[in-house]
Amino acid sequence: MNMAASRSGRGALWVAFWLLVVFLYAPILILIIFSFNDRELVSFPWEGFTTRWYHEFLANETILKALKTSAWIAAGASAVTTALAIPASIALSRRRFFGKGLVSGFLLAPLVVPLVVLGTAMLILFNYLGFPFGPLTLIIGHVIIALPFAILTIVPRLDRIPVALEEAGRDLGANWWTTFRTITFPLLAPAVLSAYLISFTISFDEIVLASFIAGSTTTFPVYVYSQLRLPTQLPQMPAVAAVVLVVSTIVVSLAEIVRARADRALDSVERVADEPAAEVVGVEV
Amino acid sequence: MATTGLTSRRRRRPSGGASSWGIVAAPLTWVIVFFVTPVIMIAIYSVGGISGLSPNDIEEWTITPWKDFTTSPVYMGGLNPLGSGLFWKSIRMSTIVSFTSLVLAYPIAYLLAMLAGKRKYTLLLIIIVPFLTSYLLRVLAWRVLLNPQGVINTFLVDTVGILNGPIPWLFNSSFSIYLVLSYVWVPFVALPIFVTLEGIDEHLLEASSDLGASRWKIFRTVTLPLSMPGVIAGFIFVFIPTIGEFITPQLVGGPGGFMFGSAIQSAFSFGLDWQFGSAMAMFLVFTVAILLAIFGRYLNVRSVAG
Repeated sequence: MNMAASRSGRGALWVAFWLLVVFLYAPILILIIFSFNDRELVSFPWEGFTTRWYHEFLANETILKALKTSAWIAAGASAVTTALAIPASIALSRRRFFGKGLVSGFLLAPLVVPLVVLGTAMLILFNYLGFPFGPLTLIIGHVIIALPFAILTIVPRLDRIPVALEEAGRDLGANWWTTFRTITFPLLAPAVLSAYLISFTISFDEIVLASFIAGSTTTFPVYVYSQLRLPTQLPQMPAVAAVVLVVSTIVVSLAEIVRARADRALDSVERVADEPAAEVVGVEV
Repeated sequence: MATTGLTSRRRRRPSGGASSWGIVAAPLTWVIVFFVTPVIMIAIYSVGGISGLSPNDIEEWTITPWKDFTTSPVYMGGLNPLGSGLFWKSIRMSTIVSFTSLVLAYPIAYLLAMLAGKRKYTLLLIIIVPFLTSYLLRVLAWRVLLNPQGVINTFLVDTVGILNGPIPWLFNSSFSIYLVLSYVWVPFVALPIFVTLEGIDEHLLEASSDLGASRWKIFRTVTLPLSMPGVIAGFIFVFIPTIGEFITPQLVGGPGGFMFGSAIQSAFSFGLDWQFGSAMAMFLVFTVAILLAIFGRYLNVRSVAG
């Protein structure tokens, strides 16, 4: 007997699952479908298939510029985030030191502070310092938001890399840096890639901080937000949204698939690492 | 993705290399300078310890901004959770949204963790991917569906013709705010519940069954209590960001979508009453701190890392 659910119970749960999938994806799919409708308003009736809105969007300098600005800011923010998250994760996963609880508390605290508070706080800080608002302040803020997510992506992976592998490297005479570069980092790379992509998505999509500290910089979310507040938005908006949603869905799914594959690969490394040390050295990773 | 069967990890301190404080120095400095410091600054600013940042600043130590908003019936109106104060309105919104997301996510997390077999991670990924795509564009998608000239209304009124006019409660209503925010958060809530359910030892269920408990009784007395840490984590992780939420309520809630977060935002952008805004922002920090003091022990942040 299955203890978790009866046969009919399982059936009902599967129905609930697929209903939730419909709930989650239908709005996005409908938006994509209607981005091809030959009609100014995004609504019925269906007036025929057109790629007009896509052509108009590709010719709209303001949208393209906003997308480019956001891409640059996101690239910068996620590079800094990843660079800070790797050492932070190593310390949290591998080391024991005085004050570790406090340090991890500080590093993860931005997770539990509403963004509107962070926005006002940074507005006041940069105002007080007389620091000009723009891409730089956005990058600084986005790093704060993304850092906990990046750390929480890298730490579980580090936890699973057997310390024995690193010890073996050091026993064979490699120094700390060589061990990290040739053993730890290659095994960590999938999680680092995930952390980078998650940080990129967070920054690319960020609107609350941007509404406080963007200055005159128009990021893509700032542009979309300003459009959404108008009574009638540009008819190209669904086309832009469709492109961004589809691209980000593909990127995020790929990153997750890569990470899952790499995790399975680690399972075998983990098994071998439990064997006597002599065999560990022979492992190709 | 969450992993099963973590083998025993040896956490020996590596010999040699940079000191622990040396390697956390850069990230820690970043967080202290750009996060801890500014939060302390708004605390000081809200009581007049810093001034001169906006035209209406009070230039001496004062509790006026705090008194103004806690007593104002518009912003808070004292400790009356059912009152008209914006703070309580936001608390009610957060409670409803967190609860709705939980109810929607729990059965799905249960199915995936207990019954879906090998495919569970793939199916979980299907649920989570929307959460990782653009927040603002998903809100845009709902506007397109719900607004009076939107897809749903034009379909029912013009195409099918069963209605004479757009459904009034579908857009710019409390309903649309709760719907869209729950939509946004469901995937995120499913994660911690999934992780705790997956960690439940199957032998416990077998033992209960052998002792004659029905499936419903097993769920009620074993599975549900053991999954409570995940439920509470999910609740808190939706509740906290939602109290300060002003973007979504504004975009799908119309005039009724003016929330506590909106009040903070407009104190800075239009009202030029920055100290007042800072007091409200700090009040949110205290609210969160109280929640964490009560529920913090249930929050294993790693359970949401995925």
